[in-house]
Amino acid sequence: MMETLFSYGPQGWGDELLAGVWVTLRLAAATLPVGLLLGFVVAAASLSRRPVLRAMGWGYTTVMRGMPEILTLFIVYNGLGLGLNRLLDHFAPQIGAVDFPPFAAGVIALALVFAAFAAEVLRGAFQAVPEGQVLAGLAIGMTGRQVFWRIKLPQLWRFALPGMGNLWLNLLKDTALVSVIALDDLMRATKVAVGVTKQPFTFYLAACLIYWGLCLGSELVLTRLEARANRGVRRA
Amino acid sequence: MSLIESLSTNLPKLLDGAETTLILTGLGAALAAVFSPGLALIRLFGPTPAKMLLRAYISFVRGTPLLAQLFLVFYGSGQFRAELTGLGLWSFFRDPFNCAVLVFVINSCAYQTEILRGGIEAVPPGEIEAARAIGMTRARVLARVIFPHAYRIAWPALGNEVILLMKASALASIVTVFDLMGRTRQIFSRSFEFSVYFEAAALYLLITVVFVFLWRQIERRLTRHMRRTQGS
Amino acid sequence: MPPKIATDLVLSAQDIHKSFGAQEVLKGITLGARNHDVISILGTSGSGKSTFLRCLNCLEVPNSGSVAVHGEEIVFRNGRIGDQRQIERLRRHLGMVFQQFNLWTHRTVLENVMEGPVQVKRMPKAEARDLAEGLLARVGLADRMGHYPAMLSGGQQQRVAIARALAMEPDVILFDEPTSALDPELVGEVLKVMQDLAAEGRTMIVVTHEMAFARDVSTEVVFLNEGRIAEQGPPEKLFDHPETEVFARFISKTRRDFA
Ligand SMILES: Nc1ncnc2c1ncn2[C@@H]1O[C@H](COP(=O)(O)OP(=O)(O)OP(=O)(O)O)[C@@H](O)[C@H]1O
Ligand SMILES: [Mg+2]
Repeated sequence: MMETLFSYGPQGWGDELLAGVWVTLRLAAATLPVGLLLGFVVAAASLSRRPVLRAMGWGYTTVMRGMPEILTLFIVYNGLGLGLNRLLDHFAPQIGAVDFPPFAAGVIALALVFAAFAAEVLRGAFQAVPEGQVLAGLAIGMTGRQVFWRIKLPQLWRFALPGMGNLWLNLLKDTALVSVIALDDLMRATKVAVGVTKQPFTFYLAACLIYWGLCLGSELVLTRLEARANRGVRRA
Repeated sequence: MSLIESLSTNLPKLLDGAETTLILTGLGAALAAVFSPGLALIRLFGPTPAKMLLRAYISFVRGTPLLAQLFLVFYGSGQFRAELTGLGLWSFFRDPFNCAVLVFVINSCAYQTEILRGGIEAVPPGEIEAARAIGMTRARVLARVIFPHAYRIAWPALGNEVILLMKASALASIVTVFDLMGRTRQIFSRSFEFSVYFEAAALYLLITVVFVFLWRQIERRLTRHMRRTQGS
Repeated sequence: MPPKIATDLVLSAQDIHKSFGAQEVLKGITLGARNHDVISILGTSGSGKSTFLRCLNCLEVPNSGSVAVHGEEIVFRNGRIGDQRQIERLRRHLGMVFQQFNLWTHRTVLENVMEGPVQVKRMPKAEARDLAEGLLARVGLADRMGHYPAMLSGGQQQRVAIARALAMEPDVILFDEPTSALDPELVGEVLKVMQDLAAEGRTMIVVTHEMAFARDVSTEVVFLNEGRIAEQGPPEKLFDHPETEVFARFISKTRRDFA
């Protein structure tokens, strides 16, 4: 019974779920670089000497972190959809109404959220580099720019990694939200399977276990990375 | 439609939704808070099998999307409809609000337990020893020294957890609970009025800001003893 | 069968053994305190002074031996706690003052002193407050009752800790290097309070590095070395005529330190 339910091929749902996992992973993997890049920009703004930029950085992180992720997703998906259709109405009315591609909407929404949290992690990591090392750099005649590139940035990784690891896990889990805007990720594949088999508990439990497995696997990799990043750093 | 107009038509519904959001969050966080201290103690000092069970529970909750947990309980319970009816529990599981609260309690309890565990571990051991040295029973030491300290230490993290839960409670709308998010989606699907999303965002932020303010006020009280100068 | 315990002893420890893992820290220590005794315990660092003191009120559970207060005896076997209640009862008769004060930082000075009487002895709050106020006045802190420990100097905190111990009206007070964590200029105020307590006839067991206190205030000095009592007796006899080589070296070294 179980074997047929989760088997490959037309009988079972194994291949559908696997395809869903693939979408989930692609979504998370595509979001990571975009979110990270945006996170750097926001962190730079928050650490800027210009009050206006600082205020903007602060405003972005505060608003984004204060809003439910699902609300952000709807705003992005529906907002981009409305915008796109308005543009199409204007320039190419013959096409008619279209949907904004959900994968892209998912990446954008998740990246916007990720960036807000990543900016906070990065800001903390920058400030965690011991003041003494900066002074030591300045003392041997480095410019502020050199101190940034040669002393602060190389150590950023080490201080940011634990926080970033957490954000990656959250990202993996947040991808599940995208199922509500019609993207065929793991969550939605499960829903389809439930609709046909009428075995909601079995399938949602399976989905949970798959997510759990993905998270545990990620944690394993993250501890390795942390150990590597902390090479040569003795803990008191 | 002007913003004022839009607000005046939407606001009553949104506020009604916000009330549900607050109830969902408050109920979830408060019920979780009933169980977390005991679980934190077991997590630290309990028998090994109980510790392992708790670790698995916490890891599962942290490693799966809340949405999946919610579906598992709300839709999953349907698979056991006959059994649940037999137990008289079906009417509970049929209601999405109940399922949402249940999942939030299970979820938040895992996080709160971990936070409290950290707080308990950070209690200065010398103060515990001083309490034992005057002959306090274990229960007294817990009630008078360990938990008062642990909650003070954990307070900011617990506040964060409540905010995260408040945000996560928006997922209840997906199983048709009319919380703030649910009302927002309802209004949008009827009117395609995009500004309702921003009104909802503003309300969520407002709730967060007010909560953070209140939580800080309590924190200031709780940490009076850490200020070096005498306040009157 | 444990040896019979002399009845005039308020507190007695019989043949206390204590190991941490493979390391045997206490190798059979027997010590008794009569009413009004002030016993100073001396010894080099790591000789087991703190461990012995903590065995007396079961903050460390001895592997074997027994502790008796007022004739109520707790016998230890295999380092296990027999009856937790009995231990809690024993602790109510023994006050303890720690090197690091260990005041409850989330409670005010007054609350720290009231805590034991109210929570352990179930004394009515008003009565406990009177008691605490009296004790705090006696250690010279009448004007600091509403403060939190973090606002006090080390010497003041240690005096609060002494008041806290006194509030339980203990039969014996144990001090574990009560002045070692203090800045030199604050040591005197704490020693003064301890001296007053001794003069009052309080029974005290004091682990200390303060030779002057051991010599001038205590009625008996015990020198621990490698987990055993190497020398024991009245201070004037011990200090002037040390019997063992180690103790002679110990006092000559500390003399040099103080010279
Ligand atoms: N909880 C413990 N676990 C393991 N070893 C311990 C523990 N407590 C004490 N010891 C060891 O027991 C020995 C005696 O320690 P103790 O603290 O009793 O010495 P002490 O005479 O009080 O020294 P000091 O003057 O430095 O306070 C030391 O070698 C110490 O390392
Ligand atoms: Mg010691």
